[in-house]
Amino acid sequence: MNAWLLAAAALLVGTIGPAIAVALHGPSHRRLVGADLAGTGMPVVFLLLAQGYSRTSYQDLALILAVLAPAGTLVFTRFLAGERG
Amino acid sequence: MRHQIALALLTAGTAALVLAGLAVLRLPPPFLRLHALSLASTLGAPLVVLALAVQTGPGRGAVKLLVIGSLLAVGGTVTTMAVGRTTVRRERPGLLRGNQR
Repeated sequence: MNAWLLAAAALLVGTIGPAIAVALHGPSHRRLVGADLAGTGMPVVFLLLAQGYSRTSYQDLALILAVLAPAGTLVFTRFLAGERG
Repeated sequence: MRHQIALALLTAGTAALVLAGLAVLRLPPPFLRLHALSLASTLGAPLVVLALAVQTGPGRGAVKLLVIGSLLAVGGTVTTMAVGRTTVRRERPGLLRGNQR
């Protein structure tokens, strides 16, 4: 149980948990805030787990998620409020 | 010595990210919650990635980590602005005029 796994556990409870809690209720554009925070937090958790288990090849997972999560959020914003006028 | 610096950066980054999580819970919707997003993506994530890079030491691995960190910072900023625009257009329909539609 090294510092990296401890930090990953703290992030899962302290950041991803509230993000999911926010994303569970409320109107759709307010849920988006939770989804976006989870999209930022999860790559960091993946990086910490990769470092904690000393398998640096798993960093690619965080790289892919860091590229795709913002794209997903932008698609959500396009559908939620993208119509002109 | 390098390990202590990495741990300090890790603690700061994790604290910022957990603070962002608490902020997204406690701050009243709809507009004040957006601060939590920018805090997480521009302060928390880069600090943790910097800690990992310091721990990895100079080399190709650190460069890859810094690329991931910059992706997180830039992507997070763009999405925060997009979510903010969406929130304004759904919460205050008539607010944005002219070319900011």
